[in-house]
Amino acid sequence: MTQTLDVLDADRRFTADGSRAKGTPTAAEHASATKFGTFAITFGIAFALLYTIFERLNWPLFTYHPVSGRIDFWREPTGVGPPMFWYGWLTLSVISAGVIASIATIISSQWISGATVFCCVLAALWPTSLAALRLFIDAVSFNADFLDSIWIAAVPALIGAVAITYFAPSQWVQRAWTSWLLIVPIVGLVILGYSLESWFVRLR
Amino acid sequence: MNLVLYFMKEDTFWSILLFVHFLLAVSLLAVVTLQAVAVLMPARQMAGGFIERSPVPAASYAAIVVILYVLQALMGAWIYVKYRTYVRIPMEELRHFKTVGSFEFKEHIVAMGLGLLPAYWYFWQQPLSTEHTNVRRWITIFLAISVWYAFVVGHLANDFRGVGS
Repeated sequence: MTQTLDVLDADRRFTADGSRAKGTPTAAEHASATKFGTFAITFGIAFALLYTIFERLNWPLFTYHPVSGRIDFWREPTGVGPPMFWYGWLTLSVISAGVIASIATIISSQWISGATVFCCVLAALWPTSLAALRLFIDAVSFNADFLDSIWIAAVPALIGAVAITYFAPSQWVQRAWTSWLLIVPIVGLVILGYSLESWFVRLR
Repeated sequence: MNLVLYFMKEDTFWSILLFVHFLLAVSLLAVVTLQAVAVLMPARQMAGGFIERSPVPAASYAAIVVILYVLQALMGAWIYVKYRTYVRIPMEELRHFKTVGSFEFKEHIVAMGLGLLPAYWYFWQQPLSTEHTNVRRWITIFLAISVWYAFVVGHLANDFRGVGS
């Protein structure tokens, strides 16, 4: 039971002295409900995060060409008619989030909540640090184009993510775990919505 | 597919699919809206410890919402093929860019809703946890918003080139 999450309500179906109330689940059902809860919450967070990343980087698992009915592996924009990437982003996000959520069911709750904070902070800091680097390159008088790299931007983002994960109070990290379930999809939608801006500002 | 098209015209086939998509949308809209209203206005505690029954038994709708949402997403994904070639291209040519952009956002909001379904299902399992009342409420509202948005934008796209347009 050390791997179970204290935030999950399954624990609360048992009485204080450990006896089982009428209609409450058995220990096996309890463990299975807890595992499913961990899987479901992790899946929700990971899916929203990965879907946003895959869409922004345009990383579909496959490309579907509706006119010819052809399916190509990864990104293949050339072909007859318009390419469709959405199925590919969705499939890759489902598979990746499923793998991450399955792993989450076998590791401790402390690790899951810590890893969630780390990944979400990293996902926010990485593009922010890249944007800051580009602003810096534009502002300075000398040639600083060598700084315009996602890998250089990754360094401060990684340091920031590690620092925040390390210094964040563990009680808060564990308590806030389920909140990421709403924060990540909403922030993801803000980013994805902003990326569609060009459709709304085009002149008729 | 070829067998179906042997019995009916291609346009008739897609119109039937679109109509089924619409019927499922209305059902999902009704169920998820009732549930969202129920979580926003829970049963009141009456004097004497008697709890007034909520007009909607919110928990009993969770399974229907999950099934309808998945069915709708699958139907939408199927019809999306026709939309991409038969609707979106003329939509762009006629410069209906805002409708295209709104439909693009529909893909994303529906995808996010799909990702939340396992957690939504888990949080509505009986007995309901009092500790997760907030997250259960907001996930339900998020799903309701996603369904409403998808319905309105889908309707706009249908008005451009769909059943009865």
